[in-house]
Amino acid sequence: MEQQNELSFDTLVIGGGIAGSEAAINLANLDYKVILVEKDLSLGGKMIHLSKVFPTLDCSACITTPKVSETIRHPNITIYTYSEVKNIVKVSDKKFTATLVKKPRYVNEDLCTGCQECEDKCPVVVKDQYQYDLVGRKAVYVPFSIANPRVVNIDIENCILCGICEKVCPVDAIDFTQEAVEIPLTVKSVIIATGFELFDPTQILRYGFGKFKNVVTAMQMERQLVPTRPYNSVLRPKDGKMPDNIAYILCTGSRDETVGNPICSQICCMYSVKQAQLLLGALPMADVSIYCMDIRAFGKGFCEFYQQSIGMGVEFHKGKVAKVTEKENGNLILRYENIENGKITEVEHDLVVLSIGVLPNPEAKLLFNSPVIESDEFNYIKQTDELVCPPQTNIEGVYVAGTSSGPMDIPDSILSAGAASACSANYIRN
Amino acid sequence: MKDEKVKTIDVIKKKRSVSAETKQQHKEYNRIKKLILKSLEPEAKTIPQIAEETELPADVVTFYLMTLRKYGSIETGEIDDMDEYFFYKLKK
Ligand SMILES: Cc1cc2nc3c(=O)[nH]c(=O)nc-3n(C[C@H](O)[C@H](O)[C@H](O)COP(=O)(O)OP(=O)(O)OC[C@H]3O[C@@H](n4cnc5c(N)ncnc54)[C@H](O)[C@@H]3O)c2cc1C
Ligand code: SF4
Ligand code: SF4
Repeated sequence: MEQQNELSFDTLVIGGGIAGSEAAINLANLDYKVILVEKDLSLGGKMIHLSKVFPTLDCSACITTPKVSETIRHPNITIYTYSEVKNIVKVSDKKFTATLVKKPRYVNEDLCTGCQECEDKCPVVVKDQYQYDLVGRKAVYVPFSIANPRVVNIDIENCILCGICEKVCPVDAIDFTQEAVEIPLTVKSVIIATGFELFDPTQILRYGFGKFKNVVTAMQMERQLVPTRPYNSVLRPKDGKMPDNIAYILCTGSRDETVGNPICSQICCMYSVKQAQLLLGALPMADVSIYCMDIRAFGKGFCEFYQQSIGMGVEFHKGKVAKVTEKENGNLILRYENIENGKITEVEHDLVVLSIGVLPNPEAKLLFNSPVIESDEFNYIKQTDELVCPPQTNIEGVYVAGTSSGPMDIPDSILSAGAASACSANYIRN
Repeated sequence: MKDEKVKTIDVIKKKRSVSAETKQQHKEYNRIKKLILKSLEPEAKTIPQIAEETELPADVVTFYLMTLRKYGSIETGEIDDMDEYFFYKLKK
C-alpha cells in the first residue's frame, strides 16, 4: 500500500450523507477546514436515491444534488470518496490522529469525463447495487446518473480483465496500476455521520423475500418511483406486469424482538404513506393497502399527510401479517389477524412491499482505537448528554450527527447535523 | 505512475486472475442475452412471451431485458390490450 504525507484539518466528518454534508458545510462556512470522508463512490447517502420526501412530496434528488454540489465546491472542504478512516486516537485536547485509506477506483478521477464510453463497451453485467439489484450494471460504471463525483469505477472483483475499457477511453483515464493509499491525518474534532443500515428482510423467512420475486423492499420501490427507474414503469420484477393491487407490510424488522430490533424505525409509516400516494399517481387504476399494527404520524404535517392518503383511497388494515405465500401466477396471499374483528384473514395482492426498518451502522464503533466510542443499548452511537448537548459522545471533541445516533427522518438529521457542527466549533474555539 | 507505453491492463493481469465464478457468470449473461435478442428479432414481445419461447424464468428475463434496455439494445413499445404487459422491441 502506498503511503503519503500527513494531512491536517480542523474537523474530520465521517460519512457524506445528508447529515455529514450539512455538518461539513456549516463548519466550512465558519471558516473551519473540514475533511469529509465517504466510503461510497458518491456523496448523498440514502437520500440521493429516494423519490420524493414526506410530507411535502418535494423531489428528493432536487434537494440533495445542490447540497452535494455545494459541499464539493466549498473551498474549505476537502472530500475523499471511496475512502475510509481507521485507528482514530485522541492524543490530547483538540488533537486526534487517524489513518485515511483511499481505495483504488482504477480510473484517474481528474481525467475521467464520465462519458461512459467504457461502460457502453464493457462486456460484463452484474447486479446494480444502486438500483437495489432490480437491474444490471457493467463492471466499469458510473454509480448512478446524479452521482457526484460523476466518474466511473471498476468493480475489480467482477472484471474479466479484457482491457476493452482502457482501449476505448478517449482520455486515457483507466489506470489498472492504482493501489490503495494510506494517508496519516491530524484533526481537532470529529463528527460521526455514518448513517444507518437497512434491515435485511431475508431474515424473516415467512415473508418470502428473495424467493418470491414479487415481494420487494421499500427501497426497491423508491427506485421504481424515480424518473431514473430501473424499468420503464412501476412493474413486477417477476414478470414485468404492471401491478394493480399492492400491499405494504409495515414494521418489517422493526418493533420486533424476534429479529433483535425492538424499537420503532420512525420513518417507515410515513415513507409507506408517501409511496402509496405516489403509486396512486403513477398507476391510477391501482389499489394500495397498508397492513400495520398502527400508524405513527408524530411529526409536523404527518397526521394531515396520513389523512390525505385515506382521502385518496389508500386502505389501512390493522393486523400484523403472519405469512406470505405465492400463487402460480406470481400473486401473493397475505395471511393476517384482523385486529378489528379478531379473525384470521387471507387476502390476495399482485405485489408486496416490505417496509423495512432502520438498523445501526456497526462500522461506526470500529473507527476508534483509543478511547473507544460507546454505543447505547440498541447499538447506536451513545449520546452522553442528550438533554443539554445532544450530539455529545463519550469522547470530548467527538460528536454525532443524523441517523448514527438513532432512527430519524431527513429534517431531524439536518437539525442534528446543525447541532453537531455548532458543538464542534465551540470545542475547537474554547 | 501510469506508463504511456504499457497498457495498464497487462500490469494487473500479472497480479490478478479472473475467478471461475466470474467467468461462469459472464458466460451465462452472454447466453441469456443472445436468447432474448434472438427472440425479439422477428417481432416485439412481452416478458412472459419471451420467457415461454426461451424457456428462461420470467424474472431472469425481466432482469436481463431491463439491463439490455438500460444499455440501449432494446426499447419499450406499446402496452397490451389488458393494460398489463408492455411489449419490448429491438432498437434499430
Ligand atoms: C425507503 C426509505 C424512504 C425514506 N423516505 C424518506 C422521506 O420521504 N422523508 C424523510 O425525511 N426521510 C426519509 N427516509 C429517511 C432518510 O433516508 C434518512 O433520514 C437520511 O438518509 C439520514 O441521513 P444520514 O446522513 O444520517 O444517513 P445516510 O443517508 O445513511 O448516510 C450515511 C453516509 O455515511 C456513509 N458511511 C457509512 N459508513 C461509513 C464509514 N465507515 N466511513 C465513511 N462513510 C461511511 C454512507 O456510505 C452514507 O453515504 C427514508 C428512508 C428509507 C429507507
Ligand atoms: S474512463 Fe474514459 S471512457 Fe470511461 S467514462 Fe471516464 S473518460 Fe469516459
Ligand atoms: S477490463 Fe474489466 S471493466 Fe474494463 S471493459 Fe473489460 S471487463 Fe469491463
